[in-house]
Amino acid sequence: MPDCTSLTLDRHLAPAGASAESFARLWAGLWTQRRIPPDLLELCRLTFARLHDDAGEMAAANPAVALAAGQRDAVLAGQAPADPAYAAALLFAEYYWLDAQSITDEAADAVKAHYGEPGLVLLIEALGLIDGRIRTARCLRDLSAHTSAKEAAHV
Amino acid sequence: MSDTPRVGTPGTQTGNTIRDSALGLVPETVSEIIALNGHVWNDTIVPPALLEIIRLRNARTVNCVFCKSVRYDVARADGLTEERADMIAPGYQDSALSEREKSAIALADCYLGFPAGIAPDLAPRIAAAFTREEIAAVLVALMTFNFTSRTAVSIGGMPEEPLPIIELSVSVTTD
Repeated sequence: MPDCTSLTLDRHLAPAGASAESFARLWAGLWTQRRIPPDLLELCRLTFARLHDDAGEMAAANPAVALAAGQRDAVLAGQAPADPAYAAALLFAEYYWLDAQSITDEAADAVKAHYGEPGLVLLIEALGLIDGRIRTARCLRDLSAHTSAKEAAHV
Repeated sequence: MSDTPRVGTPGTQTGNTIRDSALGLVPETVSEIIALNGHVWNDTIVPPALLEIIRLRNARTVNCVFCKSVRYDVARADGLTEERADMIAPGYQDSALSEREKSAIALADCYLGFPAGIAPDLAPRIAAAFTREEIAAVLVALMTFNFTSRTAVSIGGMPEEPLPIIELSVSVTTD
């Protein structure tokens, strides 16, 4: 499954049954909610892709989101966006990715100033879902690659 | 880590610990999160004791003080004693945990690692220990445990010191 990324993960998890279906619904809901702009969440996904140094994830494009010209390349290059709300959320995301315990009150307050307390909670949930899906996709890709190679070696 | 919560709660007393927490501030997601937790525990092909082992491994890695203090009733009923829970620690490879339980911890560590991923020598062991369906179920459970524990840490207000072990019914976090 070399094509497996956070964006295509659900079909690979489907064998888990009801829990996978519920997880897929939660994920899909991120791209239709209105508390945090979905394009900002996509920039968070690309930020995590960069931090994971995950080429497949960085190359993937979310069909649910249309990014403005240059946004994608800027985030993949590690440049902070000019929009202060977006910059606050992406800085918070970097703290989150590094270690949730490293998040500063100032970083959280900056997100709340733009999106309120419910917006901060939604952003935190979304970051966990995005990072978890990237991690899971990496594990499934490795599992497939390494077990396929072993099986081939036995043939 | 912030010693005071960064957000409030909805002020509800529904008896569901997730809905009454800060997650209740976001009605768009909280019901599905509760449903997801229910599916992970109640509709899975993976035994509760094994789920609890990976939940506790995640809790220790994320250092979620709340998560570390909880023991779910269904896992205890499935045989995860406190003595066995203590084995989910450095050196677990040499513990009395079963090979399948050790493989589950190894998979959890692959997910939780920096970088995340499965090493070539470990992949065959994991593939031999679990079916395709079980691996999918374990990974969905891991993602669920991981994002909820990191959410708790991110929201803040968590004590620094360990809390007493408490047994919790899965029913207070599910529908």
